[in-house]
Amino acid sequence: MDCNTCDTAPTILINAPEVVEVSLTITEKAKEMLEGAFGDDRSHGLLVGVLSGGCSGYMYDLQIVESTEQDCQELDIDGFRVLVPNASSHLLDGIEIDYVDRMMGGGFKINNPNASSSCGCGESFS
Amino acid sequence: MGVVKLDAYVLIVKGSDRVKFVDGLSTNKIEGSCTTVFTTKNAKIIDMVDVIDMGNFLALVGYNPYKSKLIEHISSRVLGQDISITDVSTNNNVYLSTDECKVGSEVTVTSTFRGLLLIAPKSYEIEVNMTRDQFNDYRVQNLIPHQGHEISEKVNPLICGLGHLVHQSKGCYIGQEILVRMRSRGRINKKLVRKENPVDSATTVGSTHSLKIERV
Repeated sequence: MDCNTCDTAPTILINAPEVVEVSLTITEKAKEMLEGAFGDDRSHGLLVGVLSGGCSGYMYDLQIVESTEQDCQELDIDGFRVLVPNASSHLLDGIEIDYVDRMMGGGFKINNPNASSSCGCGESFS
Repeated sequence: MGVVKLDAYVLIVKGSDRVKFVDGLSTNKIEGSCTTVFTTKNAKIIDMVDVIDMGNFLALVGYNPYKSKLIEHISSRVLGQDISITDVSTNNNVYLSTDECKVGSEVTVTSTFRGLLLIAPKSYEIEVNMTRDQFNDYRVQNLIPHQGHEISEKVNPLICGLGHLVHQSKGCYIGQEILVRMRSRGRINKKLVRKENPVDSATTVGSTHSLKIERV
């Protein structure tokens, strides 16, 4: 294979969508759960991202982090530090972070007006 | 049989997330070199791609007419991952050999279910000694589907002879829900078959037998 020319071969333009200024909400139930997770330590933040993959193409990625190397927007939602990567901001604008309290399939749930469909387990969307 | 030249593209995927990225978007488990299928969320084929692990990058070899759809599909899903994609199709020729063959060290050789895939720099000549009809006969004989014939955007991998490229237990990928459901409920209602000529609606016509996707 001609790999010596790989560096000079045309780089495919990654379909990078426009960065959107994200607005999101957190339900009262989700806030209660976040209070429990963070306690009084607000040095950490909730990273709300999107990964490629999953049955429908995109998967949510929720993490509690102190910092991240990703280029993020930092939001203050009712005292919670929320980090949203710019690369996936177009997929996350307008979301509601909810918490569903049930034995099976419970946990944090994202209600996303940008999603046209989601998979059965609810973890991925398109 | 011999060697045939394929109408193929070669994409180079670099970056620390390259294996996870390709694995999350295609049907086979990517642990090294293998053949896999990129599918839509409806499990329809975007392209069948040979993945060659070159150590610090992956080479994806697919069917040229399907290249733009594949690029559109994967590039919109890079998001913030450490991925770069380059197109080296114009620098290389891609051949398929049905037998062992001696080539120079500048040729990348990988074994696939179709035969040996040879990726050679444009400057390196490989003699093509199999006609398209002979290649079709080889495929018919061995029940090997090919892009533009059996493999198209109208079908899913389970019905066109690519079921062995749909991993049974890997994690989520686009189209998985439908493919898993088809398998678990026994709803694979068509399959690739070889029939003696003449064959109505054949997808590949051979000299004595042909291939066809038939309802079962």
